[in-house]
Amino acid sequence: MSTALSVVVDVTLITLILALAAFGLAIIYGLVGVINMGHGAMLTLGAYLTWAATTAGFPFVISVFLAAAGVAVIGLLLEHIVIRPFYDRPFDTLLLTWGFFLVSTEVVKIVFGTDLRNVANPVPGAFDLGGVQLPAYRTMIAGTSLLLIAGSALVFFYTALGIKIRALIQNREMASLLGLDVSRMYKMVFVTGSFIAGLAGALISPMLSVDPYIGNIFLVRSFFVVIVGGIGQLLGGTLIGSFLIGGSETLFALFTGQVFAQTVVFAVAIVVLRFRPHGVLRSG
Amino acid sequence: MKQRMPKRRSLLGTSPGDLLFSEPGAALIVFAVLALLPVFFSGYIIYILPQYMLFGVLAMSLGLLWGFAGLVSFGQAGFFALGAYTMGLAMKWGGGFDPAYLGLLLSLVVGGILAAMVGYFLFSAGVRGAYFVLVTLALSIMVEQVAVSQSQITGGWNGMFIDRMSLNLGPLGQISLFDDAAIYYVILPVVAAVYIVLYTITVTRFGKILTGIRENEDRLISLGFNASLYKTGIFAISGAVACFAGALYGTHANFVAPSLAGVLFSTEVVVWVAIGGRGSLLGVLLGGIVVASFSNYLSAITPQYWQLVLGLLFVAVILYFRGGVAGAVAQFVNARRAK
Repeated sequence: MSTALSVVVDVTLITLILALAAFGLAIIYGLVGVINMGHGAMLTLGAYLTWAATTAGFPFVISVFLAAAGVAVIGLLLEHIVIRPFYDRPFDTLLLTWGFFLVSTEVVKIVFGTDLRNVANPVPGAFDLGGVQLPAYRTMIAGTSLLLIAGSALVFFYTALGIKIRALIQNREMASLLGLDVSRMYKMVFVTGSFIAGLAGALISPMLSVDPYIGNIFLVRSFFVVIVGGIGQLLGGTLIGSFLIGGSETLFALFTGQVFAQTVVFAVAIVVLRFRPHGVLRSG
Repeated sequence: MKQRMPKRRSLLGTSPGDLLFSEPGAALIVFAVLALLPVFFSGYIIYILPQYMLFGVLAMSLGLLWGFAGLVSFGQAGFFALGAYTMGLAMKWGGGFDPAYLGLLLSLVVGGILAAMVGYFLFSAGVRGAYFVLVTLALSIMVEQVAVSQSQITGGWNGMFIDRMSLNLGPLGQISLFDDAAIYYVILPVVAAVYIVLYTITVTRFGKILTGIRENEDRLISLGFNASLYKTGIFAISGAVACFAGALYGTHANFVAPSLAGVLFSTEVVVWVAIGGRGSLLGVLLGGIVVASFSNYLSAITPQYWQLVLGLLFVAVILYFRGGVAGAVAQFVNARRAK
């Protein structure tokens, strides 16, 4: 039946797009334990930088990379100046990244103004899949998300860098005792997480009208994705978390309104968290 | 010769200087100033100040949680809005009782019970730290979303109008509180009373146990204290207080909208408490009043730059002035008195 198929398609697309948005946070939170409340702001910055680049005449793909790189640089500055002394104090990093969100939002408002901006959809239209209309652009982002996750899996499991990252997750102290340059790893992790968050914001920008709070919708959702999926479970966790959060929201929205569906999902996520505080994938 | 211990001459201190520089002394001064303000000023400031005082109470509810129990909550705004909506509904329905008192009582009960339920649910499973922050943030968003979606009851995005309460003194009749000064002199003593109650909590054994939980929860658990029960208790108290403040705010501002529960307002509360000084109830109260009123005032003049300055100030406070303004003042005072 085409409605069942369209629901499956919808859920898959939402899952992958949410996974893309949450992946940057999963990296930062999962690997260095920084509760990046500025994650939404990074998404927002990615979207605005993309708008600025496309308006300046750069083709879409270049704009996206420029935006992501821009956010990565901002992330590097943030890490170096503000976050570095506070890695073992999660509350402080939480508040500091929240401060970053406040400052960044205001700067965006000052530089870009508060009017809604639009980034043109580079791949408009839709194509047909067994009677269901697949919006071409969303499919492309979902595909990118899948590629990114697959690529990360490759790095994770088949490279030396991947081994170092896994060591960092498993036992930070031991890893540093064995010679891992922990502070350099932390910088790299933060920068990579910022890059991916910026990338996600950039890619998402044609889907929504760009305003200073565009990233906020994804902030709490991303956190729930990461926590429900399991901190440190970068790949499977993010996908499962996105499926549970994004997918269930889409499913609930079929019965109740969109807004109420979000409430229900949060409530369910809180309940899940209470019984499985380490996420769905980790045991216990 | 044996040293004799100096006799304690009073509970609060041993000299007028001690009394003045202790927090209760400073609080007395603050409330005295607030009580005298309508004598010298009138107009907008007397109208708006009770709202800022209620923001101060909201800030105290967070200060209690954060400063004493070490629990950061991004969800106090949710309780505040809940209180306002509760008051609005009570004023509309009445139900045979005096609607204002019903609203106030209901707000205390609703806030307390909701917080107790959520708190028990989470703390009994050992949910701590970051997870708790996140859940409170989600709670706030959920209140906002319920307010939006249940528009038949709440008016949705358009908000809800709330009647101004009147003071029902039973057999002595009713006093209308339409006048700015009249409601000012009702809200001020209530705020002072809440301050006294909360301050008393912090100096009792309950408060000290909470401080212990903040500093080293595991040790207190090993000493036999049921930490999660204490945390649930303080969360319930803070939820009730925030809800109560919201109810008064609702009937003062005559209006409530879903944005009162939103992420942005929740953030502001955290900023007030951080700047005011999370370790001091008075600091937090003043932080709420002063920062909120300054935000309002300066945002009319230079909206973007003021918010930016506030954000930078927040970061600076977390980086360098963890005790906020109150902490800095206390350090200064102690340093001078040590000489």
